[in-house]
Amino acid sequence: MSALLAGILHAWEDAMTNAPRLRFEAMVKSFPGVRALSDVSFDVMPGEIHGLLGENGAGKSTLLRILSGVFKPTSGSIFVDGEPVSFRTPMDSRAAGIAMIHQELQQVRHLSVAQNMFLGHPLTSLGGVLVARREQERRAAEALAMIDPGIDPSAPISSLKVAQRQIVEIARALLDRAKIIAMDEPTSSLTPSEFDRLAEVISQLSASGVAIIYVSHKMDEVFKICQRASVMRDGRLVGNVDLSSVSHHDVITMMVGRALLQEDHVSHATNTVKLEANNLSSATKIRDVSFRLHKGEVLGIAGLVGSGRTELLRLLAGVDRLSAGTIAVDGKTVDLVNPRAAISIGIGLVPEERKREGIVPGRSVTNNMALASLGSFAKGGVIRKSRLRDTAQDLLRRVNLRPFQLDRPIRLFSGGNQQKAIIARWLAAKSQILLFDEPTRGIDVGAKAEIYHLIEALAADGHSIIVVSSELPEVIRLSDRVLVMRDGRLAAEIARTDLTEGAIVAHAIPGVDRIAAAAS
Amino acid sequence: MIESPAANTAKAESGFGRFSFSFRDAGTLIGLVIIVAFFATLVPGFLSERNLINILQQSSINACLALGMTLVIISGGIDLSVGPTAAISAVMTATLLVSGIPVPLAILAGLGVGVVCGFINGVLVAYVGLQPFIVTLGTLSTYRAVALIYTGGNPVLGIPAGFRSLFNGTIAGIPIPVVIVAVVAVITWVLLKKTPIGEYLLAVGGNEEAAYVAGVPIARTKITAYVISGALAALASLILIGRLGAAEPILGNLWELDAIAAAAIGGASLMGGKGSVVGTILGAIILGTMRNGLTLMNVQAFYQLLATGLIILVAMMIDRATRGRE
Repeated sequence: MSALLAGILHAWEDAMTNAPRLRFEAMVKSFPGVRALSDVSFDVMPGEIHGLLGENGAGKSTLLRILSGVFKPTSGSIFVDGEPVSFRTPMDSRAAGIAMIHQELQQVRHLSVAQNMFLGHPLTSLGGVLVARREQERRAAEALAMIDPGIDPSAPISSLKVAQRQIVEIARALLDRAKIIAMDEPTSSLTPSEFDRLAEVISQLSASGVAIIYVSHKMDEVFKICQRASVMRDGRLVGNVDLSSVSHHDVITMMVGRALLQEDHVSHATNTVKLEANNLSSATKIRDVSFRLHKGEVLGIAGLVGSGRTELLRLLAGVDRLSAGTIAVDGKTVDLVNPRAAISIGIGLVPEERKREGIVPGRSVTNNMALASLGSFAKGGVIRKSRLRDTAQDLLRRVNLRPFQLDRPIRLFSGGNQQKAIIARWLAAKSQILLFDEPTRGIDVGAKAEIYHLIEALAADGHSIIVVSSELPEVIRLSDRVLVMRDGRLAAEIARTDLTEGAIVAHAIPGVDRIAAAAS
Repeated sequence: MIESPAANTAKAESGFGRFSFSFRDAGTLIGLVIIVAFFATLVPGFLSERNLINILQQSSINACLALGMTLVIISGGIDLSVGPTAAISAVMTATLLVSGIPVPLAILAGLGVGVVCGFINGVLVAYVGLQPFIVTLGTLSTYRAVALIYTGGNPVLGIPAGFRSLFNGTIAGIPIPVVIVAVVAVITWVLLKKTPIGEYLLAVGGNEEAAYVAGVPIARTKITAYVISGALAALASLILIGRLGAAEPILGNLWELDAIAAAAIGGASLMGGKGSVVGTILGAIILGTMRNGLTLMNVQAFYQLLATGLIILVAMMIDRATRGRE
């Protein structure tokens, strides 16, 4: 009798722990003329960290938007802890214990960190009349302490770097005590050490039974963090893989539908100095930075977010002003008073935040390409359409724009193709020095390889290139030489032959180099 | 069986993208046709050549202002000071004419006043970094005060016939103000569609930060828009005082609202980065047609105001509904 009871209890417990925390069943989503999702089903168990992989446009975002109550599915069901749920608004989804961490941060710039974390459901006192700011900030600080105690909850969110703002979003999910957290490329702007901390937090969350859906393009991370992954392509589930039994390459092949070639680095660097920076300092961050960039060289700049990499590029592009030091191009000292001056000298910046600093969304891809060199298309003050069209045909084909529709507004293109148009902008302006800030941020695997090829082809063509990147494999793949920045200064220069992730990290993180030196 | 989603969206969206500009203008044109048809059925003689020319003439001053306003709005700004700018220009020009200065010089001086007023607006926006609404709200009062102080509040009378005939004649049966505004419209269209300045205006209004990184001369572009707006306000005032034969310092009251309305009906986005010369002209004609038709129907002024307000709201709602999700 008691054995039977124990057996039943055991079976019941079993059933409980085996019930998936989240289950998608035959999800379909159609938009007019397009089927964004076709028959997608998978489970996520409590405490599981489940990777969701696929190129941009594979349907991941659509699925997450359904999960967060933004879209209604055309058909199919979602189960949370075995119960069918349906969300009419994002609030419903949130009430069901689902938290979404978006790649594009959805924060109100003028509000404080704590205000952003309690946005939409503030803590109140006096029966809902007053916002309890102190209490909000105390609770926000508690949640932040788990990930980054350095963030002040009362600071305005606009004063934080992108990486820190991402952390605030994650802390906000902690605050919501969510049981399902979906993260859409949470680390696209995090440094390796920040990633490690995030990975710790994620494993803590999973140990407490939270189910996590982790969307990322970075294979290393996915393999490090996730146990299983669902791979999507063209709106379908291509496979559900156990990550311990497949390789990176297998997964990428599933995502892309074809194998990507691994390639070796080829240097085109010459000995001709193209740009020479002497003792650059700025009001923003940079302290006494000197280096040389050669013709045909790809110079990588690595370092933590906040180490001054972006600020250095902005100085070179004339976006920010120098407070001390000189810059010489082709041996002549130049005064980069604004981007226009830099462009006329042949320097072009491909900025990190493409939407904010790169594209004019409503204008065509051709007009976006021509923006920095309109004068060269004009004759007697009037732009010659044929000249513009010829150049667009030529350059946008060279960067392999897809779809090849030159009059289409640039906002309708994928991130990778927007990036190609920005690169074409500097080709049109005949820039000889190209500055890339996080060139593949938010760009999918296939387009990423194309951007790499473009950068290599440009170097082969005699362009001088600087690449700032937080992705170490990217820096190593592209660079002939790497400068490591730390706290606004150059911490090290690493030659191609000595280039490893370990070497970069050792110089990028304060203290680590001394430890490394002591150990060797 | 199922088409690739990517290819499919590409097709649909590119079609929309390529034709969206002319779609929008076509929409404004359809609106105008409906309004004209409405009055044609209710008002005998509405469609007579004389009345149609009359409508164009009545719309010409607003169209002139609205063209400048469109450029400013595209650049991401707004110009509330067009009425008082016109007033200063009018009283200055009239005073010069009355004192016997040759007509061409007086006209140049009048337009120059508009350029200076616009330049001040532009510098305050582009270099001092104040918000366009606030800058032109301030100059709205300031310029009006200048006009009032300059004249002591009195109208300047006795504008010579030589000047008046310039703006009251016809060319091939078309009133000269209509011809002038048509020429201005063509020049503005070329400026916006065919020159680097036009592309700069669209870029600055569409994404100022990206435009800056791409080397667009932001300050120069914005100042250009306000200078053109000021010059066109001055031109509008010359047309008006040519017709009236006198210049009042209170002239041009609330002109800015009609100009903004015409630009908005024509498809200009107050967020910047979007606008159409053809649309603005059609928008000005729509407003002119409403006023003309309702007057011919003996509708009281209060109800005319109501109808104008409703037309603006309805036009914007149709615009919102047909634009789809963005």
